[in-house]
Amino acid sequence: MHQWSRASTALLTVLMLLAGIAPSSFAAAGVEHVHALAMEAEGRILFLGAHTGLFRSEDGGRSWRKVPLSTRHPHLDVMAVVADPKDPLLIYAGTHEAGVFRSEDGGTTWKEANAGLGGLDIHGLAIDPNVPSKLHAVVREKGEGVYRTGDRGGKWVRVDDGPAGEVKVLASVNIPTGMGGIYLYAGTAEGLQRNPDCF
Amino acid sequence: MGGLPANRTANGFAVSAADPRVMYVAMRDGLFKSVNAGETWRAVGSGLKDVAAVAVNPRKPDEVYVSTTDGVIFRSRDGGATWQRQQ
Repeated sequence: MHQWSRASTALLTVLMLLAGIAPSSFAAAGVEHVHALAMEAEGRILFLGAHTGLFRSEDGGRSWRKVPLSTRHPHLDVMAVVADPKDPLLIYAGTHEAGVFRSEDGGTTWKEANAGLGGLDIHGLAIDPNVPSKLHAVVREKGEGVYRTGDRGGKWVRVDDGPAGEVKVLASVNIPTGMGGIYLYAGTAEGLQRNPDCF
Repeated sequence: MGGLPANRTANGFAVSAADPRVMYVAMRDGLFKSVNAGETWRAVGSGLKDVAAVAVNPRKPDEVYVSTTDGVIFRSRDGGATWQRQQ
């Protein structure tokens, strides 16, 4: 049954290609299966994380240029992108294969920032809007859990098991309640979940 | 979290820097907006489907970008009420 289902999908794709109606809108730019979108602090450059890597646009998403993250890992699946809310040159990318990368020059050059992470399959990155040197990362598979850094990814420490369900996106939010404080929001396969950031 | 489709994957999430109570969730069923820190949600941008990711311009809180799963970008300049395809 499973084999039949896969075979029929392939046949359908071939028929769509022949008919010229296959979804190819962004094949030219090389963008496939988008995971993340972020804008740097000045609101000028969009970053897009996709199965085929990291991309940047300086014209509001009309045109995109691929951003090389690593010569060692030419084909990275970029699962998360976050921008420092105060410093427009500081950008972070979380990848499926090689952990977290940090750029301090607006995305031109990147360095790995993985010390302390128990695994390199990143499924979410969140930056604290009040204290941007503090970030959280969700790691799947090996070393699974939520990790925190207080020094922009210099050193990570595991702080929690994380929410139930596969995490798609993570964000730190300063909720102006009477109690104040930061909440971690996680978009997961089971919907949106939130927890006070007490880790 | 009233108003979000139940048992559906939340693919993307973004918050307004100017007012963090204003937040957006990207889902297969479309884009959803809350103005009360997620207590209630409503769909914005009729016609948007398969939304994979969302971002809010940190300098212009009404300027919102979404990407569909296959990389089609839409921009709103009025907090999600109307959308323009970017390519």
